[in-house]
Amino acid sequence: MLETLQFVYAPQIINGLSIGVAVILMALGLTIIFGLLDVINMSHGEFYAAGAFLSVTLMSLGISFWATLVIVPILMVPLGILIEKHLIQRVFHHKDRHILTLLLTFGIATVLEDSYKLIWGANTIKPETPIPGASEVLGVMFPNYRIFVMASGALLILAVWIVIYKTPLGAIVRAAAFDKHMSASLGIPVKRVYALTFAFGVALAALSGVLLAPIYSVFPTMGKDFILMAFTVVIVGGLGSIKGAVVAGLILTQLQALSSLYISPVWSDPIVFSVMVLVLMFKPSGLYGGMKNA
Amino acid sequence: MLDSKIKAIRIAEIFIFTCALLLVVIGTMLGDSFFIRLATEALIFGGLALAVDLLLGIVGLLSLGQALYFGFGAYMAAVLLKDYQFGFWSVMLAVLLFSALLGWLTSFIALRSKGVYFALITFGLAQVAAKSVYNTRALGASDGMVGVPIVQIATPFGSLNTGDPATFFVIVFITIAILYFVLKYFLHTPTGRIWNGIRSNESRLPYIGYQTAGPKRAAFVLAAIVAALSGALYPMLRGFVSPELMFFSVSGNAVITVILGGVGTLIGALLGSGILTIFKSIIGTLTVHYHIVIGLIFVIVVIFAPKGIIGYFADRIQKRTSHG
Amino acid sequence: MVSKNISPILSGKNLTKKFGGLVAVNNVSIEVERLGVTSVIGPNGAGKSTLFNLLSGSFSPDSGNVFLNEENISNLSPASRLSRGMARSFQITNLFFDLSVDDNLMLACQRLESSKMLVKLNRFSEQAIARSDELIRDFQLESKRQELAGALSHGEQRRLEIAVTMAMKPELLMLDEPTQGMSHSDTIETSNLISELGQKVTILLIEHDVELVMNLSKKVVVMALGSKIAEGEPESVRRDPLVQTAYFGESLA
Repeated sequence: MLETLQFVYAPQIINGLSIGVAVILMALGLTIIFGLLDVINMSHGEFYAAGAFLSVTLMSLGISFWATLVIVPILMVPLGILIEKHLIQRVFHHKDRHILTLLLTFGIATVLEDSYKLIWGANTIKPETPIPGASEVLGVMFPNYRIFVMASGALLILAVWIVIYKTPLGAIVRAAAFDKHMSASLGIPVKRVYALTFAFGVALAALSGVLLAPIYSVFPTMGKDFILMAFTVVIVGGLGSIKGAVVAGLILTQLQALSSLYISPVWSDPIVFSVMVLVLMFKPSGLYGGMKNA
Repeated sequence: MLDSKIKAIRIAEIFIFTCALLLVVIGTMLGDSFFIRLATEALIFGGLALAVDLLLGIVGLLSLGQALYFGFGAYMAAVLLKDYQFGFWSVMLAVLLFSALLGWLTSFIALRSKGVYFALITFGLAQVAAKSVYNTRALGASDGMVGVPIVQIATPFGSLNTGDPATFFVIVFITIAILYFVLKYFLHTPTGRIWNGIRSNESRLPYIGYQTAGPKRAAFVLAAIVAALSGALYPMLRGFVSPELMFFSVSGNAVITVILGGVGTLIGALLGSGILTIFKSIIGTLTVHYHIVIGLIFVIVVIFAPKGIIGYFADRIQKRTSHG
Repeated sequence: MVSKNISPILSGKNLTKKFGGLVAVNNVSIEVERLGVTSVIGPNGAGKSTLFNLLSGSFSPDSGNVFLNEENISNLSPASRLSRGMARSFQITNLFFDLSVDDNLMLACQRLESSKMLVKLNRFSEQAIARSDELIRDFQLESKRQELAGALSHGEQRRLEIAVTMAMKPELLMLDEPTQGMSHSDTIETSNLISELGQKVTILLIEHDVELVMNLSKKVVVMALGSKIAEGEPESVRRDPLVQTAYFGESLA
């Protein structure tokens, strides 16, 4: 029994956790953007892809993987700001804002995805594993890179949580989300907060892409493939809830990892989707709805 | 205000009819088959766009997965024509009935939610279906099914050969036109008014006496039927079906088509489909990356002209009549 | 005379509604007699709107019951209540703004021909057309038929709001601050309209305009902080010291 735990389940659990932190990072970006901007960012997956593609390109120019982990998210910030300020803001005050921003970001996603095909070609790129080999933990061999992803991902998630809930900056962001008019009259530069928050959210997605590239490989439609999972996590966790994104991300990726032991992977999407549908049908606000809740 | 919209729609209807007429006449005279087939395809995808506009522009529900029903109709038609030697009328009837059933069943999943959630559920449903078809050997898996026979249509006027481009174009035109006028008819019925009410202010409806679940379900089923019947025409045109017909890009393109043409006008769906098809073939000769261009156009339309082409012309007519 | 005619058309018994820790309506009972205008007044936060929502079926009470013509309707949806003769309007204008005035009314009036069928295909609803024409005349919206509801002036919108509520010829008309935001002359017109209507149907009114209420009503119910603090004819309520304190801490007269 213990052996099964050790050799069968543990590897899957670790796999699930390493994917899980990346999924959570992506979902965090999505949920923060929704929580603050009230925008459903259909292009979020394309920023995830952008992160992966940029990382690969930078590495081919000789830059180390570790450097790309820092550079790529920073590169995303101006792009995110531009998109928010010049595109999203234009439909933001329309009465049909929700549908228009959804359509708008969908359009952006279309453009981005085809751009990747244009720039990098349609083939899959498989970057090398930055930390090759495996280590023994509790008698089982785990790939080193996955351990790294897990550890760094967990730290990043913790960092995001601390920034949002324990710093003045985070307080400003939460205030602006809660009541933008009041915040503006208190001197908070709401427009700038919006732009930076969107940029932050997509930077998280890009970071997630950099982390997962060695595991999942890089190809133009990778954003679209991943977005269903990201949306499911956000919805199950509750749109706008950080705690929800974390909890739901863990549960769903574990579900995916453990079920792959028994069911063929082609069923993974249907299972994930079914969970999303069930949640939407019976508890649409998710596990913890709303950004006001931790 | 509304008069100008009606006028703009009327103009668009006449325009499309005229274009179709010219195409058939000139195309036949020149012996063309490529452009006529392209136009036929535009009409077929226009039918899918009609379904999307019914849901989005009339009822107010954004479906990001209407390709599910389109693909269902296409595959069912392909299987019935190829493996069971069905005739045209029986195929269409079968597709009608089974797509209605599929629409009805999926409505219980999709209609539990609204707005963004509805969009995501329809998106997910189509993704799951597309992946399932992609993995199903019996349906040809990723290669799809080829070798769909050319169908002869038995009519009181004799047998029509759908292999002839011009003949099939006319048949598709009539089919889509029928679907269009059926939808238009519904708009003026009590149910149609309820649909407008749902789009405009759903929360008020119970207070004036309506349960919205029934009308929503009716629209959803109708949209499934329209999409599926359009899809059924596809294998008759191209002789094959593939899982790509259910992919998100097909659903997404349908939404773009509707917004471009003019959401809520119905005819805008057909207009948009024609325009996008022309665009694709022109840009497609220059580069394979026409999605970027279409995506950019779409973003521009969403920001600057969310009412689409017909909406734009309706506003122009409005301005002219208020000055004249 | 059958006893039905002297029993209250609407009664709420021991209604309570809490939102989290806040008790919005605290064990309130109310009886609305047939015909004429009964008004509910009280300072902001008194719970008037919540009471209205409980009576109309927008919220369900934590405890208590609602009776319409002696039938317990506590668990019925707003649509079911409408078919039993109760209709309500909204304080924040709740029209179909991107539909024309005509379409707004037709949508409300076509319900007159209801059968159980929801997917109805008959195009021409003569009964509905007749009723909507009647309403257009009664509410003086003739010249605005094809205007979008969203393009009307505030006063016209409030009139349309009441017209839509009247479509099904309800026995009990619940109006939520019908003169909200109206100009003085519009308020007087609306007040006359309500007075006229009150001769044919029962009206339950929430209002902030205390003078209007005192002139129109045959009975006034006063709420404060979730409870009913007074009820009775306008004059006796006006002089009630509790009411005066609740509003101003000084005399109203």
